[in-house]
Amino acid sequence: MFLKVQLNWNVVIPAENLDIKGLMLQKAILVRLLDDFSAKKATKDYGYLLAVTTLDKIGEGKVREHSGDVLFPVSFTCLSFKVFRGEVVEGVVHKILKHGVFMRCGPIENLYLSNQKMTDYEFQPAESPCFHNIKTGSRIEKDMSVRCVVIGVKYMEAQKEFQAVVGLEGDHLGPV
Amino acid sequence: MSGEEEENAAELKIGDEFLKAKCLMNCEVSLILEHKFEQLQQMSDDPMNQVSQVFEKSLQYVKRFSRYKNPDAVRQVRELLSRYQLAEFELCVLGNLCPETVEEAIAMVPSIKSRGRGHDDEAIEKMLNDMSLIKKFE
Repeated sequence: MFLKVQLNWNVVIPAENLDIKGLMLQKAILVRLLDDFSAKKATKDYGYLLAVTTLDKIGEGKVREHSGDVLFPVSFTCLSFKVFRGEVVEGVVHKILKHGVFMRCGPIENLYLSNQKMTDYEFQPAESPCFHNIKTGSRIEKDMSVRCVVIGVKYMEAQKEFQAVVGLEGDHLGPV
Repeated sequence: MSGEEEENAAELKIGDEFLKAKCLMNCEVSLILEHKFEQLQQMSDDPMNQVSQVFEKSLQYVKRFSRYKNPDAVRQVRELLSRYQLAEFELCVLGNLCPETVEEAIAMVPSIKSRGRGHDDEAIEKMLNDMSLIKKFE
């Protein structure tokens, strides 16, 4: 799910860059914010950070005593992406192994669909392997979109990546 | 989230903060990200180099999974769905997946049938029909 969230961060402007005022200062704060935003990449609470949409407020700067840098509290709105347990999402298959299928969903690289969560589907080895539904005849192949339900979500702080485990158990789930 | 209240979007148990948060449909995000990308194209020769992997993957994803492409249609869908008593989260899942039958809609967003909001089958069917009309005339 894509979210629009308002965040409050502190942006630090180094002492050397402080001989500017007004709009130039605002621009420097914005540039620094965008750099910090890009580097942050993701948070456990809001998911992957996509883009800043508006700069809402820049508070009064506070000088940091030892460095002479100035810290500005900034309030801004941005887009983020995260998936929730129980959410129905559409993923794109990028890898098929005999124990399951890996899909991409938004910025999430690995949505894992285990063969144990795909009732009636059998692995078919081949140069281009797929999973074949023995009852309906439909197939899950690379680059296809598959609708699935999120069973669990994990955030890995060190890599700043989310992973999710999904399943096809439910009505109207499967290849789209 | 506390231990007893396990997260479950099917029951709209996603945490108070997200219940009140603004959610966006893929088609809405597509318009925003495409616009941003165009702005970058005007400022640089190699816009792809300027955007993060997160941005790039998201843009690719929403372009593929937007049911509505025309900005007017996107706005109409938002207006239409806003008339029903839906949480932002529910609204967006419906707008993303565009279920065709009432049964499918309930399977995708089970919570629309709960919480005594009076979403009877007739109301849901009308909503889905209106959504597909917007698609037809897009």
